[in-house]
Amino acid sequence: MALVKLTNISKLYGFGDAANVALDEIDLSVDEGEFMAIMGPSGSGKSTLMNIIGLLDRPTHGDYSLGGRNVAKLRPNQRAKIRRDRIGFVFQSFNLLPRLTAIDNVALPLVYRGVSPVRRLKLAGELLERIGLHEREYYMPSQLSGGQTQCVAIARALINDPPIIIADEPTGNLDSAGSRLVMELLSEIHATGTTVLLVTHNPELTRYASRVVYMHDGIIIHDEKTKYGEVAPTARRALYFATHTTEEDDLAGVSALMNAMPSKDAKTKKSAARSKRQKKKVAKPTISRRQNQ
Amino acid sequence: MKFATGNIKMAINSIRAARWRSWLTMLGILIGVVSVVTIVSIGEGIKNQVGGQINHLGRDLLTIRPGVINASVSSDLSMLSNLDNSSNSAGLTNNDLQVVRATPHVTSAVPLSIVPGSVKVSGAPSDNNVLVIGTDSDAPAILNENVEYGTFFNSDQYGSNVAVLGNNLAMALFQTSAPLGMSFTFRGQQFIVDGVMNVFDTPPFSLDANFNNAIFIPYPTATQLEDGNAPLYEILTKPSSPKFTNSVDQSITSRLRAAHGGATDFTVLKQSQSQAVTNSILLLLTSLISGIAAISLLVGGVGIMNVMLVSVTERTHEIGIRKAVGATSRQIRSQFVTEAVVLSLAGSLAAIIISVLINLGLRVTTSLQPSLSWQIMLLSVAMALIVGIVFGLAPAVIAARKEPISALRHE
Repeated sequence: MALVKLTNISKLYGFGDAANVALDEIDLSVDEGEFMAIMGPSGSGKSTLMNIIGLLDRPTHGDYSLGGRNVAKLRPNQRAKIRRDRIGFVFQSFNLLPRLTAIDNVALPLVYRGVSPVRRLKLAGELLERIGLHEREYYMPSQLSGGQTQCVAIARALINDPPIIIADEPTGNLDSAGSRLVMELLSEIHATGTTVLLVTHNPELTRYASRVVYMHDGIIIHDEKTKYGEVAPTARRALYFATHTTEEDDLAGVSALMNAMPSKDAKTKKSAARSKRQKKKVAKPTISRRQNQ
Repeated sequence: MKFATGNIKMAINSIRAARWRSWLTMLGILIGVVSVVTIVSIGEGIKNQVGGQINHLGRDLLTIRPGVINASVSSDLSMLSNLDNSSNSAGLTNNDLQVVRATPHVTSAVPLSIVPGSVKVSGAPSDNNVLVIGTDSDAPAILNENVEYGTFFNSDQYGSNVAVLGNNLAMALFQTSAPLGMSFTFRGQQFIVDGVMNVFDTPPFSLDANFNNAIFIPYPTATQLEDGNAPLYEILTKPSSPKFTNSVDQSITSRLRAAHGGATDFTVLKQSQSQAVTNSILLLLTSLISGIAAISLLVGGVGIMNVMLVSVTERTHEIGIRKAVGATSRQIRSQFVTEAVVLSLAGSLAAIIISVLINLGLRVTTSLQPSLSWQIMLLSVAMALIVGIVFGLAPAVIAARKEPISALRHE
């Protein structure tokens, strides 16, 4: 059975004319043990989707079942408990508490589970040792390199042993060495059976994934299985085009990735979804304008 | 609770992070608690001192004064001018003294008569602030105080110009602690100092005359100075046994009334009554001032709220992170309430220490004997805690209500 199952998930921001559709009736299911990479240009709804899966945000419509339990309509406190016990977050900007040491940051989720201070430090210490940051336990986040900081953040995400890790562009702020460190760690975590959802701009990182999902303007336009160690075929095209990005494209705000995406019209299923959307009169001026171009 | 201890650690961490702001907030609470504790302890101290004096004089002491004094709070202030009361009524005279002496069960009755005039010591300017009191040889016994140097005059010296000084006056007038045999001029007559009294334990703000600044002369001498009729400021009397206090009170009242032709133009005060009067004035004053002090505690509470609100806004991102890793609204709320409580608790504990120091300082430098009871300390700390919780709650609720995703995006 699918660990994450989204049915008709939509997310709208604003009202009336100013309404902005971030997610448009997304259907997605993620099985246990998958390493799913989500790609797409900025504003395509990747992060919104992750926030909804991570229960940080609520969908405007639709159903979401996590491990067989419907969690779309839960109260904030119940959502907090599920975030604590079942979901680990890794953010692009690390989001460690700057005034706490590495080990205290890692132990933070345990605080909210009511674990005793001694046991908290023991568990956090063991975890930091496992990821090879044992000597940096009492460093402040500002004293660590980017890659190390993100590894501490990953340790924090792992401390409650959650079935899902959500990593929203974890390498976005890192150099290549740091990226490599972080991706190897995520890959190891995946190897232990944890489901990993990775949002990324970097097609290279699809090497680590077992499945790649492409998003555009709030819908999933492509979904493919990949082999470990290989850049996903579609992403490879993006990689190819990326080297040829012209200045005009940049000025027009069109990313190379977007140009490289498979045509939306090729996906009959998705176009059907779109016509349904138009019937519902959920105005999406941005999409139609781009199509006209 | 495990979470609570973690909370306190977190609270101390974030208080430290904003050191100046936290210190200023604590100052608000501190000033409030210090003023409440100090004012109440001064009031208590005075009350104890008055009670101590009354015990010293004996609870069976009866004071007869001219004029009518109602022992109700509304007319308390008339007590302040009781020295002038004699002019409003017929006053007490030597006759009344004899009536009191003749009352059954009265062992002694001591007249106190204030003789107006200024005291002059040769080689020094005359002193108008000295109280000259005509009394008799039983005065030390009834006031339960002895001479420190020399002797108190006895009945053989009635009519002669001898004087006994209150303790403060020896130094003030003669620059020596035992000016025995020295002389001063009072209303044109020469008086010889025969003795110096011990210090009278006079409570501060007392409504009674301060005997430490008085000169005692024999009552017959005073009568001569006043041409045969020295009006009495008061008559002090004691029954032969404390159990007769009430009956003696009643019989003196009825006998004096008969002597005054049926008019009650005098007052017989029992010690318990005069204590009640002093206490009610003190209670009024203390509650008034500590009420004002409590307002400063309230202002301190508003300070806490202000600091916490700023802190909540400043730490929105942190709240977002905490919520993302699984903190419930309740846990965030209790974190901020704990912070407010730690602030007010630290402030009030520091305030208690400062109050103790102020207390010691007052004892050393003034005649006040403030009494710091643990009840008032506990009460003011509890008050500060309540202020902390009440004013910390609103910002804490605001913090807890933040949506995790918007809080995370806040920088």
